[in-house]
Amino acid sequence: MNLKEHAKKIAEKAVKRRTRWTGLLLIIVAVAILGAISLIQAYYAQKGIRDEAKTKAESQLDAIKSGILNVVNQAESAVRNNVWLAQWCLQIPDSLANIPKLIVNNNPIIAGSTIAIVPNYYKDRPLYSPYTAITNGKIIETSLATQEYDYPSQEWFTKPIELDKGYWSEPYVDTGGGEILMTTYSVPIKDNQGRTAAVLTADIDLEWLKALVNDIKIYPGAFSTVVSRTGRLMVSPDDSLIMTTTIDEYATKVEDTASFNALNRAMLNRESGSIQVTHNGTKNMVYYTPIDKTGWAMNIIIPEKEMFAGLKKLNGLIRLLQVLGLLLLILIFRAIAKSQLKFKYISEKKEKMESELKIASDIQMSMIPKTFPPFPEREDIDLSAALVPAKEVSGDLYDFFIRDEKLFFCIGDVAGKGVPASLLMAVTRSLFRSVSAHHDNPKEIVSTMNNSMSDMNESNMFVTFICCVLDLKTGKMQYCNAGHNAPLIFTDKIGELPVDPNLPLGVIRNKEYTLQEIDLHYDDAVFLYTDGITEAENPTHGMFGLQRLKETLSGRKPAQTHLDNVKKAVAGFVKDAPQSDDLTMLFFHYLNNQTKIKSVQSITLSNDISQIHELEKFIGKIAEEKDIPESLKSSINLAMEEAVSNVIMYSGSKTADISAQTTEDEITFTVTDSGKPFDPTAVPDVDIDQNAEDRPVGGLGIHMYRKIMDSVTYKRQDNKNILTLTKRIR
Amino acid sequence: MKTKVTKEEGQITIAFTGRLDTPAAQEANPIINPLLEEAGKTIIIDCKDLTYISSSGLRIFLTLRKAAEDKKGKVIIENINDDIRSVFMMTGFLNLFEIR
Repeated sequence: MNLKEHAKKIAEKAVKRRTRWTGLLLIIVAVAILGAISLIQAYYAQKGIRDEAKTKAESQLDAIKSGILNVVNQAESAVRNNVWLAQWCLQIPDSLANIPKLIVNNNPIIAGSTIAIVPNYYKDRPLYSPYTAITNGKIIETSLATQEYDYPSQEWFTKPIELDKGYWSEPYVDTGGGEILMTTYSVPIKDNQGRTAAVLTADIDLEWLKALVNDIKIYPGAFSTVVSRTGRLMVSPDDSLIMTTTIDEYATKVEDTASFNALNRAMLNRESGSIQVTHNGTKNMVYYTPIDKTGWAMNIIIPEKEMFAGLKKLNGLIRLLQVLGLLLLILIFRAIAKSQLKFKYISEKKEKMESELKIASDIQMSMIPKTFPPFPEREDIDLSAALVPAKEVSGDLYDFFIRDEKLFFCIGDVAGKGVPASLLMAVTRSLFRSVSAHHDNPKEIVSTMNNSMSDMNESNMFVTFICCVLDLKTGKMQYCNAGHNAPLIFTDKIGELPVDPNLPLGVIRNKEYTLQEIDLHYDDAVFLYTDGITEAENPTHGMFGLQRLKETLSGRKPAQTHLDNVKKAVAGFVKDAPQSDDLTMLFFHYLNNQTKIKSVQSITLSNDISQIHELEKFIGKIAEEKDIPESLKSSINLAMEEAVSNVIMYSGSKTADISAQTTEDEITFTVTDSGKPFDPTAVPDVDIDQNAEDRPVGGLGIHMYRKIMDSVTYKRQDNKNILTLTKRIR
Repeated sequence: MKTKVTKEEGQITIAFTGRLDTPAAQEANPIINPLLEEAGKTIIIDCKDLTYISSSGLRIFLTLRKAAEDKKGKVIIENINDDIRSVFMMTGFLNLFEIR
C-alpha cells in the first residue's frame, strides 16, 4: 500500500468514527425526546381523563340531586299548601283529622301524614295526632297519640318547633307496613296569636331513591352512596349497611381509614369536591356533593382502573409506535451515514478538482473546430456542429475536415464524465486526425484507432464513435460505427441511418469492424448526435426522445438553424432540470448538383383487371435492374397488385399511374388515380385472428400491402388519390 | 393459370397451377362457385404448382372454408411453397386451414 492510499484510509476511518458518534448522539437525543413526549402525553391524557370523569361525575350528581329535589319539593309543597288550612282548622279541633287525609289522598308520593298538636294546646285533649297512612293501597286512619309512641319526643315533632321552620327528619325504617325506608317532612303550625300549636307532617318512602341513584351509570364499576345528615347510609351497594351503619363506622373497617375520614368530614360538612380513596386494594376517585333541604349528601365512587382503561390501551399503542419510529430513525440514520461518508470524502476533494476541471475544459473546447460555416467557399456543403457541455468537463467530441475531395466527419461519446473522460476524448480526437491522415476507409480508421486505444486503455474506459467519409463528387458515403447511436438521415423523409452496432473503441484489440455504405443525393442530409440529446431529462424525468428530435429537425433549413432549433427545443423541454449530459451534434446538408438525378420509371394502366399482368412485367424489369431477389420481388409484386387492383376495380378512375423511384437501398412506388377519394391508410386493420365464420371476405388486400411495405402514405391532391409505398431492398 | 377439379367418392380435389393473381381469380370463380354446393365433402386444395397468390385468390379459399363450415365439410390445403406460406402467415390463414 502506498502512502497516498494509506492517508486516504485514515481519513475515511476518521470520518466513519465521527459519523458513528454523531449517530449515537442523535439516537440518544431521539430517545430522550420520545420519552419526554410520552411523559407529557401521559400527563395530559390523565389530566384529560380525570377532567372528563369529574365532569361526568358532577353531571350525574346533579342529575340525581335534581331527581331527589323533585320529590322533596313535591312533598314540601303538599305540606305547605295545607298550612293555612291547618291554621284555620285549629279552631275546630275535630276537623283537623281531615288535613292528613287530604294530603295523603291528593299526593301519591306521600305515604302518611299527621297533624300533631303541641301537648296541652287543647285543654280537653293533652295529646292529639290524627294520622292517615296508605299501606299496600289501603288508607288507614289512626292516631299517633299513644303512650308507647310518645310523639312529642319524636325528632320530627321537636326539631321543626325548635328550628321554627320546615324540617326533614333523619330517615328511618318503618316497620308498620314492611321494612320501608322513610323520611318525614314536618312544619310547625302557628295559631292566630302566633303560638306554635301543631306540627303538620308528610311521610315519604325512599324506595325510589335507590332506583334513582342506581339508574345512572357512567362507568360499569362505578356506584353511588347517599348518607343522611348523621352519616347513616341510605343508599349503598351493600344493602345490609343501609341505615345500620354510619360512614364513620364504615371508615374504621377499611384499610384507608384516613382518606375515608377526610371524605366523611367533607360530606358531613356539606361540602362538594373529590378525593382519592383506596378500597379493597384498588384506587377509587370519589366525587361528593350535599343535597339541599334534606341534609343528605351523596357521592359517586369510580375505580381508577376503569377510568383509565381506555388510556392504557392508547398508551400501549403509542409505545409501539414510538418503538417503530425509533427503529425507522435508526435505519434512516444508517442510510444517511453511508451517503455522508461518501459526500464528505467527495466534498474534500471537490474544491481542488474544480480548478483542474476548468483548465481541462478550456483545453478541450480549444480542440474541436468551432468556426462556422467551416467551408464558406464550398456550395456543396452546409455543415455545422455544436457541443454544449454539461456542468463538468465532458467526454463528447466531434470533428470534420476535407482531404482529397472527401469529407471526413465523426462524432464520439466517452463513457463517463470528468477529467478522465475529457482526456480520453482529447486522445480520441488526435488519434482520429492522425489516423485519417493516412487512411480514407472508415473501417481502417476505426480499427486502427481501436487497436491504439485498447493498448493504452488501463482504466477500462471506452468511446462510442462513428466515422463517415463522403466522396463529395459521387455522393457515396462510407461509414463505420463503433457502438454509437444511429445518425439520422434526411432523404424525402427522416430516417435512421442503418448502422451495424459493433463494439465501442478501446474495448477489445483486433476487433473486426464493419464497413457500410450509402449513396447521398442532392439535398440529402445527415445528423450525427450523442444520446445526451435524446436522453435529456425534464424535471419529471421524461426524456426528450427521438420523436421530438425528428420533429424539431423537419424541413430543409440551414445547418446552423437546425442546431439552434435543437438546442432551443431541448432547453424548452428540460426547463430548469440540471443538464446531465453533454449535447453534441453535427448536421451536414449535401448540396451537390451532380447527384440530383435518381432512377425514376413509370407506367400507366387502364381500368382493366388484365392490366395487372403489365404491372407484373413492370416490377419484374425493375427487380432485374436492381438485382432484387426473387422472393422479395414476389412480395413487392403482391403488395403492388393489391394496391393497383383496388384502384382498377373500385376507384372509378379510368387510369392508374404508377411510378417507381429507386435508390441504392429502397424503392418507392407512387400510385396515382383520379377516382373517388379513398384513404386506405385510414382503414382499420383486419383482425387476422378471427375464426373463419366471422372473417369478412374483403379487406385482405390493404392489410397485405400495409404489412409488406415499410411505409404506406396517402394524400389527396388536385382531385387525385396519391398512394406512396416504400420498401427497403438492401 | 389453370384450375383443375377432380371429384372422387366424398372428396373434391382442386389443383391450381401458376399464378393465382386478381385476373386469374376472376377466371377461377365460375369453376369454384358450383363446388360450394358440395362443400359438405372433403375439399383438398392442391397448391403444388401454385407459384403466387393474391388476396383475390385467398378470397376463394376463404369462401370455400366458410361454405364447408356451413355444410359440415372440410377444407385441406396441400403443398404450399414458402412464399405462399408467408402470405398465409401475414393474413392469419395458417390458423384458419388444415395445411399439410
